[in-house]
Amino acid sequence: MNNTFKNVSLGVIAATITFGVASTISVSAQQTYDPVAQRAIDGARAYIKANNLQNPKLDVLLNSLYRNSFPDFAAEWKELTGVELVSEPLGYTDIPSKVMGEAVAKTGAFDIFNDFPYTQPDAASAGVLHPLDEFAAKYKPDFSGIPEAFVAQQYYNGKQYSFVLDGDHIMLVLRKDIVENPKAQAEFKAATGKDLGCPATMADWEEQAKFFHTKAGETRWGITFEQPLYGAMGYRSVNFSHRHFPAYFGGLLFDKDMNPKVNTPQGVAAIKALASIVQYMPEDIQGWGTPQIYPFWGSGQAYSVMSFPSIFGFGNANPNSTVKGKQLPCVIPATTAGGAPVRRAAEAAGTSYMVNAYSDQPELAYLFIQWLTSPSVGNRAIAHPKGFWDPFRQQNLGNEGIIAKFSNEFLEETMENAQFTTSLLYIEGHYEYMKILDNNLAEVMNGNKTPEKAAEDIEDGWNDVTEDIGRKNQVDVWRKGVEAGLYIDKF
Amino acid sequence: MTDATLNGTGKPARLGPLARLGAWLGQERVFRWIPFVLVEGMFLLVIIIPFLLTIYISFLRWRANRPFEQAYLSGFRNYEQVLTNEGFWLSLGRTFYFAGAAVAFELIVGFLLAMAVHRIVRGRRIYITLFLIPMMLVPVVAGYNFSMIYLDSGPLNQLLSPITTALGFDPRIRWLSDPTAAQLAIIFADIWQWTSLTFLIFLSGFSALPPQLINAARVMGASRRQIFLWVELPLLKPAIVIAIVIRSMEALKMFDPVVMLTFGGPGTATQTIAHYLWEQVWMFNKYSFGAAASILLLIMFSVLIFTGIWLLIRQTEQVEQQQLNTGSDG
Repeated sequence: MNNTFKNVSLGVIAATITFGVASTISVSAQQTYDPVAQRAIDGARAYIKANNLQNPKLDVLLNSLYRNSFPDFAAEWKELTGVELVSEPLGYTDIPSKVMGEAVAKTGAFDIFNDFPYTQPDAASAGVLHPLDEFAAKYKPDFSGIPEAFVAQQYYNGKQYSFVLDGDHIMLVLRKDIVENPKAQAEFKAATGKDLGCPATMADWEEQAKFFHTKAGETRWGITFEQPLYGAMGYRSVNFSHRHFPAYFGGLLFDKDMNPKVNTPQGVAAIKALASIVQYMPEDIQGWGTPQIYPFWGSGQAYSVMSFPSIFGFGNANPNSTVKGKQLPCVIPATTAGGAPVRRAAEAAGTSYMVNAYSDQPELAYLFIQWLTSPSVGNRAIAHPKGFWDPFRQQNLGNEGIIAKFSNEFLEETMENAQFTTSLLYIEGHYEYMKILDNNLAEVMNGNKTPEKAAEDIEDGWNDVTEDIGRKNQVDVWRKGVEAGLYIDKF
Repeated sequence: MTDATLNGTGKPARLGPLARLGAWLGQERVFRWIPFVLVEGMFLLVIIIPFLLTIYISFLRWRANRPFEQAYLSGFRNYEQVLTNEGFWLSLGRTFYFAGAAVAFELIVGFLLAMAVHRIVRGRRIYITLFLIPMMLVPVVAGYNFSMIYLDSGPLNQLLSPITTALGFDPRIRWLSDPTAAQLAIIFADIWQWTSLTFLIFLSGFSALPPQLINAARVMGASRRQIFLWVELPLLKPAIVIAIVIRSMEALKMFDPVVMLTFGGPGTATQTIAHYLWEQVWMFNKYSFGAAASILLLIMFSVLIFTGIWLLIRQTEQVEQQQLNTGSDG
């Protein structure tokens, strides 16, 4: 009996050790071997040798959000290949003009541009971006597990110009501690007849925002609010409102011939909904960007926020946050502006990497980008504690670093949300089209225009831009983008 | 011939190219032209060539999202587009409103401060230093500080809350997101920073007042008010016109507080013409549209500035004439 027990015990221990070792080997192999990254490393080494480069160097025009995380990857790339990366951090609002300035000056001062994907249409048309198709055919990047709209954002007018490494599709986050409060649930049910949880539609979200909007000094559900609890938060300032508009509109912004569809009942309903919920947001919301919205959410003074996914990580990781463990991530609510409920999460910002057409070493620049955005290195970037890259591809799901940073609950929601990702307008003149939208949304929010008049003015403004750039060209690119799946919706 | 130019054979030594150049430049007829050529060269390079290029580009059809090689001449189309653009006129109107309001306050406050400092004896230097500090701050820093002050839960609203609450207003004034409040916020930031300049101009004006005229008026029994109104103020007219011209020129280019505080928003409520042009060119890549708008603005502002300068010259001449008359009378 004793011997049998001993043998069984030893067998179990041996099996456990074997399984453990095998798992470790398997995990480490998974982490270290990535054919896409390896091809980039080998390619860079071969390129340097073939071209007899001494102390090769690449200059990167870097989005300043990444000034604390990018250097780690730059150091690793230097160790792997000997290529030094010199980064010049710049605010994201200034990068497009630098890129377009390079289109005129043609200096080759930067080899790599790091910016929102939306800079790409103007830059590619101006000839300042190097088409990457030839390099991609040679070094074979991997876009598996990436939602269609993100893949499509790497291309413009049929050519690849960039690599995307960020899932900046907007999502909704609620206060879990309030949602799970039995008294709050009961009161909400009694008031609305609905169960409390992630709202199904934008109207449901506004209903919740209205219900939970609480003045300072009130006691509700056993909680006394010393400060007001705002029902909602979202981006409503200059250069940001438009990023939320597709979620309210729920469809293509133009028809097949680039005629705007905003001056329709659907467009007017979307404008109304976007403006209506502002009454439950902080009074100063039209002047707020990320530096104000994130800390305010962290201070616990809002019930819900529609934002970039990184707000969830901020709420969990920021030392001053009072909402750690109290956040409930939700898929973007559906809009009913067009009738049937439609969920559309705009890729509101994003991080992409492009190669300067005037770079002396475009192939070397390409190889670094392929390495950085490869599944394994990309995973490490997204998991980087000081980075702002957000999860966006299936390979992110199983990564321990990403799980530790974002939590499984969030990952599941954000990956589901990614399926509804749609691009903002991805054609030449993007910033001008979107500014017209922004200005008119602000006029409605301030009560200076009716939604109907705003819809009319947006339509006129957009038509002017289309004519000014050239309708034929715009129609052609717009149709290609729709066919490529940039916007989920089709004609 | 000096030794330095002779070799051992007694023949003139051959000079190197640099030495020859130096010798050539050292000639009187050449040397006197050097400063002129340098200054004019810089002027040509920095002002004239870019200006001519701007005029040329203003007649092209060109957005920077297409290579320059694809640009083509389009006559006055850009000018027509600018003149029929609602955004251009609205931002121009807003600029005049901001500049008018800010400069008016800066003149009044600067004048009063200068008058007060001119009359005090103790601590004068300290006051002058204190009042000049805002002007010495980098506009970006001043703008950033104001962005903190104007937060809806910031110090300004906290200071005002006893008044606003007593009046029944919401104490959280949306300084940066309410269209009217944001406009006032930008005007106030400009007043805070640039009153220093008008103060400095007026203080120098007060310091330059001829004491014999003021003493003569006093001896003749004029009251302090009469001396101020009929002696000092007329003599200060050139300083006033200088302050108006200089500040107006600067205020019409208002850009930094707009970028730092509101980025032109909410909507376009605080967009000045400088910000509008920046946006058209650097955000929307409409280089030829921006060039045409710049030329039109240059014409408009030139008319204003030259009118101001003409006024300045006229006032100076009048004051000089007055002084001459007073001197000959005396």
